[in-house]
Amino acid sequence: METGIICHRPQNYPLYIRSVPTENELKFHYTVHTSLDVVDEKISAMGKAMVDQRELYLGLLYPTEDYKVYGYVTNSKVKFVMVVDSSNTALRDNEIRSMFRKLHNSYTDIMCNPFYNPGDRIHSRAFDNMVNSMMMQVC
Amino acid sequence: MSVPDYMQCAEDHQTLLVVVQPIGIVPEESFFRIYKRISAVSQVNVRDSQRVLYIRYRHHYPPENNEWGDFQTHRKVVGLITITDCSSAKDWPQTFEKFHVQKEMYGSTLYDSRLFVFGLQGEIAEQPRTDVAFYPSYDECESVEKRIEDFIESLFIVLESKRLDRATDKSGDKIPLLCVPFEKKDFVGLDTDSRHYKKRCQGRMRKHVGDLCLQAGMLQDSLVHYHMAVELLRSVNDFLWLGAALEGLCSASVIYHYPGGTGGKVGSRRAQGGSLSAEAGNRHRPGALTSNGINADTSAEIGRAKNCLSPEDIIDKYKEAISYYGKYKNAGVIELEACVKAVRVLAIQKRSMEASEFLQNAVYINLRQLSEEEKIQRYSILSELYERIGFHRKSAFFKRIAAMQCAAPSIPEPGWRACYKLLLETLPGYSLSLDPKDFSKGTHRGWAAVQMRLLHELVYASRRMGNPALSVRHLSFLLQTMLDFLSDQEKKDVTQSLESYTAKCPGTMEFITLPDGLKLPPVPFTKLPIVRSVKLLNLPTSLRPHKIKSLLGQNVSTKSPFIYSPIIAHSRGEERTKKIDFQWVQGDVCEVQLMVYNPMPFELRVENMGLLTTGVEFESLPAALSLPAESGLYPVTLVGVPQTTGQITINGYHTSVFGVFSDCLLDNLPGVKTNGCTVEVIPALPRLQISTSLPRSAHTLQPSSGDEISTSVSVQLYNGETQQLIIKLENIGTEPLETLEVTAKTVNTKEKLYGDFLSWKLEDTLSQFPLKPGKIATFVVNIKVKLDFSCQENLLQDLNDDGISVSGLPLSSPFRQVVKPRVEAKPVNPQESSKGGDFSHVKTLEAILNFKYSGGPGHIEGYYRNLSLGLHVEVEPSVFFTRVSTLPATSTRQCHLLLDVFNSTEHELTISARNNEDLILHAGECQRMAIQVDKFNFESFPEPPADGTQYANAKQLEEERQQAKGLEINSKLDIWEASVEGVLNQLVLEHLQLAPLQWGDITCGIFPTVIDTRITSFFSSPCKSLFCI
Repeated sequence: METGIICHRPQNYPLYIRSVPTENELKFHYTVHTSLDVVDEKISAMGKAMVDQRELYLGLLYPTEDYKVYGYVTNSKVKFVMVVDSSNTALRDNEIRSMFRKLHNSYTDIMCNPFYNPGDRIHSRAFDNMVNSMMMQVC
Repeated sequence: MSVPDYMQCAEDHQTLLVVVQPIGIVPEESFFRIYKRISAVSQVNVRDSQRVLYIRYRHHYPPENNEWGDFQTHRKVVGLITITDCSSAKDWPQTFEKFHVQKEMYGSTLYDSRLFVFGLQGEIAEQPRTDVAFYPSYDECESVEKRIEDFIESLFIVLESKRLDRATDKSGDKIPLLCVPFEKKDFVGLDTDSRHYKKRCQGRMRKHVGDLCLQAGMLQDSLVHYHMAVELLRSVNDFLWLGAALEGLCSASVIYHYPGGTGGKVGSRRAQGGSLSAEAGNRHRPGALTSNGINADTSAEIGRAKNCLSPEDIIDKYKEAISYYGKYKNAGVIELEACVKAVRVLAIQKRSMEASEFLQNAVYINLRQLSEEEKIQRYSILSELYERIGFHRKSAFFKRIAAMQCAAPSIPEPGWRACYKLLLETLPGYSLSLDPKDFSKGTHRGWAAVQMRLLHELVYASRRMGNPALSVRHLSFLLQTMLDFLSDQEKKDVTQSLESYTAKCPGTMEFITLPDGLKLPPVPFTKLPIVRSVKLLNLPTSLRPHKIKSLLGQNVSTKSPFIYSPIIAHSRGEERTKKIDFQWVQGDVCEVQLMVYNPMPFELRVENMGLLTTGVEFESLPAALSLPAESGLYPVTLVGVPQTTGQITINGYHTSVFGVFSDCLLDNLPGVKTNGCTVEVIPALPRLQISTSLPRSAHTLQPSSGDEISTSVSVQLYNGETQQLIIKLENIGTEPLETLEVTAKTVNTKEKLYGDFLSWKLEDTLSQFPLKPGKIATFVVNIKVKLDFSCQENLLQDLNDDGISVSGLPLSSPFRQVVKPRVEAKPVNPQESSKGGDFSHVKTLEAILNFKYSGGPGHIEGYYRNLSLGLHVEVEPSVFFTRVSTLPATSTRQCHLLLDVFNSTEHELTISARNNEDLILHAGECQRMAIQVDKFNFESFPEPPADGTQYANAKQLEEERQQAKGLEINSKLDIWEASVEGVLNQLVLEHLQLAPLQWGDITCGIFPTVIDTRITSFFSSPCKSLFCI
């Protein structure tokens, strides 16, 4: 089970939410929403030191009983949050990192679309497909 | 040990616990007044020493917690203060007995106790007792604080003696084993003589002494003792106590590092002893300067600095301690409290990430089955701690859980009020505010899905609280701010429940003030419907006021001495953006057009929609509308009547949707287009309504100059016919009609028009003025049409071809030769000739009658109104002269003019010429008539003054042509019937001309050939027309 979510920086509202399975989605909303506290904290902690060469991958944000929450922040402060089932031990840090990188690339593609308004919710088939394939791979 | 104290912080380790309790019946209010005074004495500087004692007061303390007193001495109740109300001496023994019972409860640990008796007077009160104090009433107890200080001093003496007693290492004595309640049975049958056991006893005792030292204000000693205890306990793997020793070490270090305290209530607790605590803080600093120079006990300072943990170590040791506690299920409360304490320390160190780990751990600590109340308390405190480390979302999450717990189904009496209050506190965490203004601009803030959930919960809680106004407010807020995120089904559900709520309690625009002072701003439904543009409409043309232009033009600005200045022009330009260049009139219905659309997936009923204005008293006439589902832009016109004069500003509109009244101000609406919202209202003017005797015209005139025609009438006339147009002027306004001016303007000037088209006598009408409201005046206009049909080439040709004309005349077909140059002479309107054919010989004349009228206060201000009446006249040809020829008469000075007259109408008509009998012509008939006329001289005739220019031009252009002469004849003979002109030819002219040789006394010119041609229709139509030839 996994959710890929992007939040926009200034207002912290979701740009894209995807979860499998779809029931009990509100729970994910809460999980991801509260994880933003940690993201904020991590950014503010590292932000001052090296803005340019900082690591975009934030690592495990916090573990709960059932899920692990990972975070990633782009330089423009767009946040990616991934929630993975705790029992899924196949996923190592490296895999998560590469998944985030893929997500980031895909997001960059969306931003290159001249018809996309930065800050709007993402409705892109390419992005959907990419997320789907990523989830398929994990589950 | 089952009840955790979530408020604990590290400094509490240095406090002495004193329980203050009432016995018997003590009014709660009085008790807490005394309790407050007692608890103010929280720091006491002990006599003869620099040490400070800190006291923690509780009015409730579970005795089972007291049993852990040996484990951590700050959990031990060392003092008991009881407060009682005793009115008569009779009750005294009983009261005293109760005091003893109460003492028994904490008996094993108490150092000392006091009883405060209020209300008892008399001999008993006179007896001096150390443990009992008598006060006459709750108001007269000035010495309470003093008493408390004495009491604390006595506590100190006991504490100090205990400390000294335990601290002196009497190796010979057997050290008792201190243990926590659940350990007791574990040690039964253990070998008490083993080294292991002894060490354990030693270690525990060291730790205990450390606690006592800390409480007695000897930080340095306590650190030493704790370190020793840690060593000892570590070697015997006594984890629980090792944890306690480590925690003690942490506490002492925290107290040293953060004299300001780590608890939340620093302000209140330390404020009273501000100077004292500052001093205390100073004392703790290593190498601090005291009044007598450098602190004498420098070695102690160094030692302390060595023993004291660094801030990083504190956290490590806390972690270690907590991990040891974690090994014991029964020490859950201790572990939890340690977590809380560590979090508070971390919050001060601003290490939020680590603090969140501690909190995360605290969440998972399983205590025994908690009561609902404890759960609420636990979640609230978690929320508070998260708040403190800056995790607002997490904090909001737990607060929400606490709120939900308040109303859990397992609770027999759900505390909806508390639930609601807690939910309100979560709002900032979800970046929600209850002010819709925060959401009106820019993109949405925060996480909509979560916010929606919270709002739903607020609605539900407020409903269960029995406050429908609140739930309506919250539901409106939900609908207004979350509209974009609601699915169609949700929109339906929300509106349905909103409607059901508003049936009981309609939504208003007032602030709702909650009992705790929070104000809920009103929620106007600016999105139901969405307004895209607001446009103030001018009055209809007929009602538009005009200003009478004064001699001093309005251009002369009174504001500036300059005739022109770019700066003024600039500022005026700005003004213009807000002000509109038309006026409204007091007492007249004014309109504002809104373009709205309905974003809902169902029909939206908007009731009571009206305008909000300022500046002028304005009677808004509300409208109700029903917008179809997801309509496109839909125009809505809101109307109202200004009752006074001045500047009126349209601020917004009010609606009632789903039973919620909202006032939407335009300033708060994003993306509204407006052409300005301020307009001037001028004083009232009368209103004039025109009705005429003629039928209304389907034609609408297209006037050139921009003024519109309110009504237009049409009439059909034969050429030469005259008709009376009776206009009824009715004053339908409320002001008297005082002045009236009438002007006429012919719109269609293509036709050559002879004579006065419209004529009237205004005096007759003006004699009826001023016209009171409701009165009617009449006004008569004569319409007379005289048009030139000479160019009806087709018609005439038809006639020729048909051979209707009489032949045998010496002119065969002169027509074409003559006409051609005429057409060239009038190149101004080339369409006319083609149009003439299409219209089957009907010509139209259009004119506008302008009525300028004024009256009442508006007249004084110099305004008038203009009402235009369009007149559409269709002119049909009546008779044509197809041919003209002459025959010499008996006299040389005269000749016979033979005219072939053709009746082109469908009626029978009579032509009467002078000296002739009437000629009756049937429809379509052509007959010849002869008129005897005097010959005349072309050269001498004077230029006609009226149409001079036109003729002169024609003359110049066609000078060499005979045609000119034809024109002259026309004018001379006053023949306007152009058919004559068309058929004149050289021959005829010659006949008409006077012979060059004439006898003497010829007076030329006056040629009274006015032929009265009377056409009388013999059919039903009673029209009578006058023809003049």
